Amino acid sequence: MNTILTSARHEVLCTLRARVAMLLLVLFLGMVSLSSLIGWLTNTTVTRVYEKILADGLTTAPNPFAAVSALYYSRNSVIYVVLIGALMAIILGVQATLRDRQSGTSDLVLSRPVDTIHRLIGQFLGLGAVIAAVLAASTVISWASISIIMGAPLGFDTSVRLIAFATLSWSLMMIFALLGMLTGLYSRKETTALLVPFVIWSAIAFVLPQIGTAARPVALLNPVPALVAPGSASFDLIGAVTGPFTITEQFKRAASIVLRDDSVTGSPWLSILLLVAVLIAMTWIVVVTPRHTLRSGLNE
Amino acid sequence: MNSTWIVAEKELLDLRRDRLFAILIGFLAVATLISVAVASADFRNQLDAYNLYVANLANSGSTVTAAAPQLFPLKLLRGGIEYLEILGALFAIVLGYGTIAKEKHRGTLHLFLSRPVGRFAFAGGKMLGLSIVWLGVVAALTAVSLIAVVTIGHAPIQGIDVARLLIAGGFAWLYLVFWTALAVGLTALSTRLSTGLIVALVIWLAFVLIIPQIGDTMDPDNQVPGGLFATLQIQKADELAVLAQFSAFDGIRNGLEVSSVTKHFERLTFAFLGIKDQYNQQPLSLVWAAMLPYAITLTVATLAAVVFAALATTRRTLQRKQS
Amino acid sequence: MTTSAISTAALTRSFGAHQALADLTLDVPQGEVFGLLGHNGAGKTTTVNLLTTLLEPTAGDAMINGHSVKTDAAGVRQSIGYLPENVQFYDNLTLLENLRFFARLSGLRRPDARIRDVLTFLDFTGHDNQRVGTFSKGMRQRVGIAQAVLHAPAVLFLDEPTSGLDPEGVRTLRKTIVRLNHEFGMTIFMNTHLLSEVTKTCTSIGILNHGRLVHHDSMSNTLAAFPADESLEDIYFQLDSAAA
Repeated sequence: MNTILTSARHEVLCTLRARVAMLLLVLFLGMVSLSSLIGWLTNTTVTRVYEKILADGLTTAPNPFAAVSALYYSRNSVIYVVLIGALMAIILGVQATLRDRQSGTSDLVLSRPVDTIHRLIGQFLGLGAVIAAVLAASTVISWASISIIMGAPLGFDTSVRLIAFATLSWSLMMIFALLGMLTGLYSRKETTALLVPFVIWSAIAFVLPQIGTAARPVALLNPVPALVAPGSASFDLIGAVTGPFTITEQFKRAASIVLRDDSVTGSPWLSILLLVAVLIAMTWIVVVTPRHTLRSGLNE
Repeated sequence: MNSTWIVAEKELLDLRRDRLFAILIGFLAVATLISVAVASADFRNQLDAYNLYVANLANSGSTVTAAAPQLFPLKLLRGGIEYLEILGALFAIVLGYGTIAKEKHRGTLHLFLSRPVGRFAFAGGKMLGLSIVWLGVVAALTAVSLIAVVTIGHAPIQGIDVARLLIAGGFAWLYLVFWTALAVGLTALSTRLSTGLIVALVIWLAFVLIIPQIGDTMDPDNQVPGGLFATLQIQKADELAVLAQFSAFDGIRNGLEVSSVTKHFERLTFAFLGIKDQYNQQPLSLVWAAMLPYAITLTVATLAAVVFAALATTRRTLQRKQS
Repeated sequence: MTTSAISTAALTRSFGAHQALADLTLDVPQGEVFGLLGHNGAGKTTTVNLLTTLLEPTAGDAMINGHSVKTDAAGVRQSIGYLPENVQFYDNLTLLENLRFFARLSGLRRPDARIRDVLTFLDFTGHDNQRVGTFSKGMRQRVGIAQAVLHAPAVLFLDEPTSGLDPEGVRTLRKTIVRLNHEFGMTIFMNTHLLSEVTKTCTSIGILNHGRLVHHDSMSNTLAAFPADESLEDIYFQLDSAAA
């Protein structure tokens, strides 16, 4: 227990001291804040467009934007988690495990009465705490900015949904943090340690969904999950096979439902279960790393 | 033989045996093949749906005829171009970073700098070598795309299509050299190597993924499912008249999109390959006339990145103590 | 009767076909300062890595303070301190943050008072909140000693401790080793290829040649067994070449 807490605390400290990590955290928070600003700017403009149309007598229909859910302003955050959040988590994960191997401090750590599993769980929890703190801050920013846009504090149900979205985001980001930890443990070069999880991320975020749904890569930057074109049996079949592995699309699906995006229907539970299953599997793969791997040298 | 060419030649020899580089290029080629296969399967699905629709019409005794979906072979390459936009840029950054990082790590940099070489020999040689590498890669990917369209897509290719593909390949080469040069410069400037890589990746994230996505989000018509103007049943002429009064907002939105070099590359390749309907089957002269500003900006951006790499990669920056 | 702090029995380690250490059988009594000599690649670092449980033996076993490196690695780790060659730390953390981390990993719950004592003992005060990344080689070496003795280990392992130090740093380190041994009764196992260091600090020595122990005796016996006008350097080369 002592090792877990010590390692977790140490990981938080090291992450917060690294300038690059701070750059990424600031970028993530900046983008979440900016997305609210963009939402507000667009909201104001669209309302003015509607008022102009109404004043010109071109329509008598009610303002369709008025019926949009408050959480609609948060939907861009879904894609920021998949893009910035996942990549930030990869970099933090790689640095967590590569740090000791690069500087040789792994020999100091492993000559202590330290259990490898405890050490790795501690690092995982430390990263988890940093990522949770960032998501907590981004949730507070979202809550405040949406409240300002709506002109009133968000209600209980909406607030709970924002927290649920943050929890989902944590799960996805931790999966990628673990992937980074894994390559940080096993790679012989720092470049490989950073690059391999990036390639895997791009395959999961772009290639697999394309095979399963025929969605093009840039279309996958949409916060709403890609859907299989109706009546295409071949994509139905491939989509069913690749679906469980496309965790970014599963995340987008669950997040869209949680954030009440009307274009996605159904239950989010299957997607949530898949994310949790992958998170548990990845944690297991990382913590069973053999002791000697933690101190294996680098070629760079 | 001058020292710039000696460096470039060494770079080519070095990369020939680089497994990581081979894996990255292989991944890009496979992704391109997959995207052509997926696009052609998608087209066949559309064709099947059309045939079913026509058969149903015939069975019901209708004489109405519907236009069949038309296959434009180069449109099958849209996914491949988008992979180049996103993953090609990412891999170009890694290649640029790796070329400086390996010299610093191995300590071979000091051996090089102890020789009587010119101010720009190192950076110039590196950029020359990497530009040749990207030329080879683009040529290979163009060949892969062409073969994939003909074999997987079962689409006939004409001479003009090859010309369009070669022009798009030229822009792809400029785009990839831009990202490599940027990464070379940033890695040379950073005292800690991984910082250079990560800063380059943050720029990639911002300009390749985030800014184009924000531009899309800010479109007023995208704010309401089904489109704002369609929901309000506004005619196209009225829509344009209304939007003309919000030109400042649209200017910001378009400005954001245009600030990304990726969008310039996308608009150029989509126009020349006819992926954008407006330019499909149009004569090349017309496409050139419309796309010249983007061609100029992409070229200038690439040149600027190469100059940045050359100026940043000095003896002083390269020998800074690593912390 | 003195008990062994370090005792090895046919300790062997191979890397593929290469045998880095062969049948090392050795006893170092408690309270000794033992110097392991050998040329580059003789197997010194492999020996320390095996005794500190960083490597697992291919055959044989070693007991450190009564704990087996094979069956009770956790017990061994509890009993030892270790200073690797060219020690590195977390450069972005301060001296205090680095030492707290290693102290807690060693099981100290509230380590600040102990850290202060150790830093005072090492005459290394006034740098608590300075980042280790700004430290000189000599300062880092003192941080290395501090982290190794925070939990008052019974046995201290030092791998080439004087490597890269200036003459002043070497002298300070030598004094520290002697004081740790005299004042706290710490057994010290030191790898080195500097013969002058061995003469000034060690009470017994061993010589490794191509992974085999070719000599092991007390310093006084070693010096007595050879003509009075021969330096330790001469003795080393005689033993080493005889083994080769």
